[in-house]
Amino acid sequence: MKNMIRRWSGTLGGLFLLLSVSCTEFIEVPLPDGQLTAEGIFEEPATAHAAMASVYAQLRDGGLLTGNPQGLSCLLGTYTDELDYYGSTQGAPWAFYSNALLPTSSEVAVLWNSSYQQIYAANAVLEGVEASASLPVADRRQLTGEALFVRAFLHAYLAQLYNGVPYVTTTDYRENAVARRLGATEVLEEAKADLLLAAELLPEAYVTSDRVRPNRYAARAVLARICLYLGQWDGAGNHASAVLNRTELYPFQEDLDGEFLADSPSTIWQFSPASGEANTREGATFIFGSGPPPLVALKPELVAAFGDGDLRKEKWIRAVTDGTDTWYHAFKYRQHQNGGAREHSVLLRQAEMYLIRAEARARGGDLIGAREDLDRIRNRAGLGPTTALTAEEMVAAIFAERQLELFTELGHRYFDLRRSGTIDTVLQQLKPGWESEDALFPIPETELGLNPNLVPQNPGY
Amino acid sequence: MKNNLLFLSCMGISLCGFPAAAGERTHGRAGLECPKGLTALLDTFPLQTITITGTVRDAAGPLPGVTVRVKGNRTVTLTDSEGRYAIMAETGDVLLFSYVGYREYEVTVTTANIIDAILQEDATSLQEVTVNAGYYRVTDRERTGSIAKITSKEIGTQPVTNVLATMQGRMAGVNITQTTGVPGGSFDIQIRGLNSVRTGGNSPLYIVDGVPYAADAIGTGINSAVLPYAPSPLNSLNPEQVESIEVLKDADATAIYGSRGANGVVLITTKKGKAGATRYNVDVSTGMGSITRRIDLLDTAQYLAMREEAFRNDGIGEFPAQAYDVNGTWDRNRNTDWQRELLGQTAHITNAQLSMSGGTAQTQFLVGGSFNRQGTVYDGDFAYRKSNLHLQLGHASADQRFKASFSAGYTLQDNNQPRVDLMVEALRLAPNAPDLYDADGELNWEGSTWENPLRHYEGQYGATTRDLMANSTLSYLLLPGLELRSGFGYTTLRNAERTAAPSTMFDPAFGVTSAASSLIVSAADRSSWIAEPQLHWKGRLGKARLELLVGATFQSQGGSQLAQYAEGFSSNSLIRNIGAASNLFTVTSDNTEYRYQAFFGRANLIWDDRYILNLTGRRDGSSRFGPGKQFANFGAAGVAWLFSREALLKDSNVLSHGKLRGSYGVTGSDQIGDYQYLDTYAPSGVLYGGVMGLRPTRLFNPDFGWETNRKMEAALELGFLRDRIMLTAGWYRNTSGNQLAGIPLPGTTGFNIIQANLEATVQNRGLELTLQAVNMQGRDFKWTSSLNFTQERNKLVEFPGLETSTYRNTYAIGQPLNIRKMYHFTGVDPETGLYTFEDVNGDGRLTAAEDKKQVVDFTPAYYGGLHNDLRYGNWQLGFLFQFVRQQNFNSAVNFGAPGTSNQPVTALDRWQEPGDVSDHQRFTSGSNGAAMSAYNRYRDSDAAVSDASYVRLRNLSISYTLPATALKGVQCRMFVEGQNLLTFTKFEGADPEFKAAGYLPPLKVISAGMQFNF
Repeated sequence: MKNMIRRWSGTLGGLFLLLSVSCTEFIEVPLPDGQLTAEGIFEEPATAHAAMASVYAQLRDGGLLTGNPQGLSCLLGTYTDELDYYGSTQGAPWAFYSNALLPTSSEVAVLWNSSYQQIYAANAVLEGVEASASLPVADRRQLTGEALFVRAFLHAYLAQLYNGVPYVTTTDYRENAVARRLGATEVLEEAKADLLLAAELLPEAYVTSDRVRPNRYAARAVLARICLYLGQWDGAGNHASAVLNRTELYPFQEDLDGEFLADSPSTIWQFSPASGEANTREGATFIFGSGPPPLVALKPELVAAFGDGDLRKEKWIRAVTDGTDTWYHAFKYRQHQNGGAREHSVLLRQAEMYLIRAEARARGGDLIGAREDLDRIRNRAGLGPTTALTAEEMVAAIFAERQLELFTELGHRYFDLRRSGTIDTVLQQLKPGWESEDALFPIPETELGLNPNLVPQNPGY
Repeated sequence: MKNNLLFLSCMGISLCGFPAAAGERTHGRAGLECPKGLTALLDTFPLQTITITGTVRDAAGPLPGVTVRVKGNRTVTLTDSEGRYAIMAETGDVLLFSYVGYREYEVTVTTANIIDAILQEDATSLQEVTVNAGYYRVTDRERTGSIAKITSKEIGTQPVTNVLATMQGRMAGVNITQTTGVPGGSFDIQIRGLNSVRTGGNSPLYIVDGVPYAADAIGTGINSAVLPYAPSPLNSLNPEQVESIEVLKDADATAIYGSRGANGVVLITTKKGKAGATRYNVDVSTGMGSITRRIDLLDTAQYLAMREEAFRNDGIGEFPAQAYDVNGTWDRNRNTDWQRELLGQTAHITNAQLSMSGGTAQTQFLVGGSFNRQGTVYDGDFAYRKSNLHLQLGHASADQRFKASFSAGYTLQDNNQPRVDLMVEALRLAPNAPDLYDADGELNWEGSTWENPLRHYEGQYGATTRDLMANSTLSYLLLPGLELRSGFGYTTLRNAERTAAPSTMFDPAFGVTSAASSLIVSAADRSSWIAEPQLHWKGRLGKARLELLVGATFQSQGGSQLAQYAEGFSSNSLIRNIGAASNLFTVTSDNTEYRYQAFFGRANLIWDDRYILNLTGRRDGSSRFGPGKQFANFGAAGVAWLFSREALLKDSNVLSHGKLRGSYGVTGSDQIGDYQYLDTYAPSGVLYGGVMGLRPTRLFNPDFGWETNRKMEAALELGFLRDRIMLTAGWYRNTSGNQLAGIPLPGTTGFNIIQANLEATVQNRGLELTLQAVNMQGRDFKWTSSLNFTQERNKLVEFPGLETSTYRNTYAIGQPLNIRKMYHFTGVDPETGLYTFEDVNGDGRLTAAEDKKQVVDFTPAYYGGLHNDLRYGNWQLGFLFQFVRQQNFNSAVNFGAPGTSNQPVTALDRWQEPGDVSDHQRFTSGSNGAAMSAYNRYRDSDAAVSDASYVRLRNLSISYTLPATALKGVQCRMFVEGQNLLTFTKFEGADPEFKAAGYLPPLKVISAGMQFNF
């Protein structure tokens, strides 16, 4: 018994001794497996590039740029005069199709939130690279340029959809939580500044064998677009020329069938698919095999707008019929499910640069140059030269051409209708209940509630 | 009586759970009266050893397992299954018969060698009832803290699968809501209201047989869309195996749990083996479940009239091509009650369990197994299955100094459900929507004109959970009154979930093949160990009884999660095999480690059996906080005055128990998740350009620290007429400060939440009443009632900078946390036919920030339950009515705008032409922006909230026990039990009990079965 007591008290004493020594150490836990500290990430090129890769993957899989039905290609198509929506009234595009967006619509909040998540990730790369001690200069320039490019690209979309948004340039939540809303033009100017810097930092050549990471000309292409939106015709023309002049990098692609293939030379920036097999999300969204369409179909008015002999109607649109009715779907991407990774989602392509330069030239009085660029696109589509004579006619012809060339590609039509001021006249004829205020998206109500610097809400909401 | 109790504890029977004074048996020490009394007894009689036999009974028949003991020596035996016993004793000895729940019975041995005994059930037997306070037990009479308790008697009569369900309506201060009627779902539990502004920061601490059981939801959450909240691990516990559940509520009871006690502590004790001849218990039952209430919806004629009017109102003359319901594409004469069609099946429930228990006075065992199967109200082959094995061993050395208890439980759950809950589709679908199946029995897509709701059956949700809980307690009495005890526990849980989306769930018009099929699989592993060495001392100094306890806790919990998304299968029949996918992405792959360490202590002083002081304290360290913030101190003081033991009242015939008690103390909370202070990157699981992305894990804050919760309580306990009527009235006030909150952030920050401390203070005040009464008690008849009632008030007391914080549209000073700021509905404009709302700032437009000012409170005003138990001969009837007074979202949130989807019939009272005064606005097809906007505000206004109070027959049980003579040696009980059988409510919706709208509400269940005991 005595032994027992001695043993027990020994154990007990030992235990309490152990406690007092090790209590702080006991609750120290190591970093979870497979996580790296933020500082560590940007010291190695491989992990730093992986951080940037994650930003692109986010862009591809969600938010404004995705080819899912929740991305702009589908949503703005249904919002304007490109697509008819046939899906459930519970689906995301329904609110867009019926122009019944509300500040409380989750679709609106999702676009907003995922864009700023992507912007945060880009800013985190910028700050990580900036703070890095050992990242080689070439990687530093590349990553900084890409992150600036992504940040500017997203802000430019947001600025126009929401009529001005905060331009977020830091990861500090205290600052971002009260970020001030800038006017749409101010945002575009900020984006322009970022892109000019990006164009300086990014190399001329693509860093990978495909075009899934932007180079200098991708930045110039976006600059061309933003200048166009800002009415800075010279800038638009110059940036577009910078891209178009690089003919060895971007030889003119005569064949419409090859335009959206993974290795199309007219592509300026594309998304890398999620796997070695995957094709595009756009293909899965737009293509259907029998009617009535399960989700969306091209509006008959759009199909009718193509002139006789327009090869784009033949090659980029497909008719589906059940014997009595006929529906059309976009067929730019022809793979509707995975296999062989034959097509990549295209974000920037050469044809837009021709149309931008054509418009810039037309607005600047260079009608000959404008005609040359416009006809380049028309010829490829099997159409004769434009009949436009005056600058006004030329601009109108360019807008008409943009509608036919760029349909269901990230909402070009919406932005064109907005800047041409024709959005109400065009859409009121097609969409019951369209009001001028519908041209803008509402600021998500939760955002207005959380950040006092976002007021006022856009009119009409 | 008092002496008896003392004597009993001297003998080490340890009813109070404290193997107290085994050492005191041999020699009298300070304050030891019993052996002296015994010596006196022994002196009076001549000695003669005889064998005594006899039968022990109660009013109902023989009682097995009664302890028969010779007072003053070690001889002890138990009655067998027939209630018989045999014991050696000497004349003059006193035989003591004791059995929990019965009054002790003493007989002095004379020369007769047959002694039969009839034990009387104790009215409420408060004297003997001890409650588990976690690290220690106290007698109910002498406790200073606030502890609510239910036992297997109440638990066993409820046909439910989650232990939390058994507590509903039975405890004051404990508000439990079932979140879904789909089996395998979770429950929301609030003990004394919401303490934290952090969602997910209000769960209590669960302790099963002394081992903390992590109740954080399991799974990644991406995989269980059919459930409104991720499954609760508490499903692993089988209610049939629970002996008692104690809920610790005030500071006195919870402060010993320190940082984890802020939201209360739920102590679950499983059944233990009972000494005696081996007893077998077989229990089988079968039951049926169905939805409690339906919403009265429009039929086809009304629906089509509504749709036509909607298009007319919108100025659309020709029905659009995609308006299949009205434009003639669908048969305008079909009429389907989709609630009946999709949710109208009977859920079949089967329950079976078997256990055996027995042993000697030194070693006891219990082995039990159970199987439970629960179907669903969906028309499909869906079921929840649970199998469980439970083992318990108890041992004490011959001298009672060493004691060991070991128990282990293993549970296997298998749940198979549709991908998503069909509730909302059942409500919104057009009543003339097409057939679910075509002539060939295949899913009918009606030429791509609708999304067949049964597509969700094509892709199923499956979950399996395997769960092992093991624990042991070892104790050794070092010196008289001084005991070394240690608890050890290990739990491990493995959960695997999958949700399949085969290509067949998509409209064939998409032309997709199994190459587009996808599968999400996730696996979560969690295991923890705990060691809690403790030293207990108990002694007496003059008029003082003193108990001391010091201990330490070491706990480690590790977890890992893996979630993967697979797509592209060569065949849909391979869809459950992730290896058959051509593409595989890892969505989540992480692991966490949580370490927790504490020292705790308790000092309890009882002076003169009347004045009680209880001090508890704890110093806690947690790995969930960053360097320098890891440790904090918590503690409480409780006092009680047993005034009924004062000379003046001691002999009162009316008042048998009177106690005033109070407590004050500080507890905390570290429920914030792991690693929130770290700035890290983790693999995103998604490839880009062949590179696996790395993404920032979280917005981090290195500086957050413990939140504190100050609890104060005062209570009065009264017992009348030998405790036949027991009344407890308690008042409490809990104040939570230094709120650790996930502060909502605008999307512009890239995230929606950050962990930080807020200087906000939340106060919970409440009044709790419990009344227990033995209304009638006769030889064959007994009627007892118990009532509990809780009124609570939750208030945000202060919040510096609320108006400039991101919380300004969520909370209001002086208001409860569970509020919404909403528009104030001002009726339908007779001119425009649109819903109108108050323009609070009068600027002529309705904006959320300026005009959502109507505070709508979702906190229950009061709730409670009334339970009655009647026994007549072999019949027993028990029923529990639960009542809640509350507001909640009405059915408006389940439907689309009037005119766009099916509606409740109440929507027919709508505006049609200028001048109409109506409840609902004009119908719209969806293209009237102003109407859609008004409808959306309506959903966000006080009109969408209405009285959701209810009185519910939560539980009914009727049983009949066959007379002992019917089956020789077999006790047979037949029973019928029901849950949620009747609901009385004015609520305009499906069922008033829900947390998130649009999910299947709790089912009405009726079940019948038999129990054999032999």
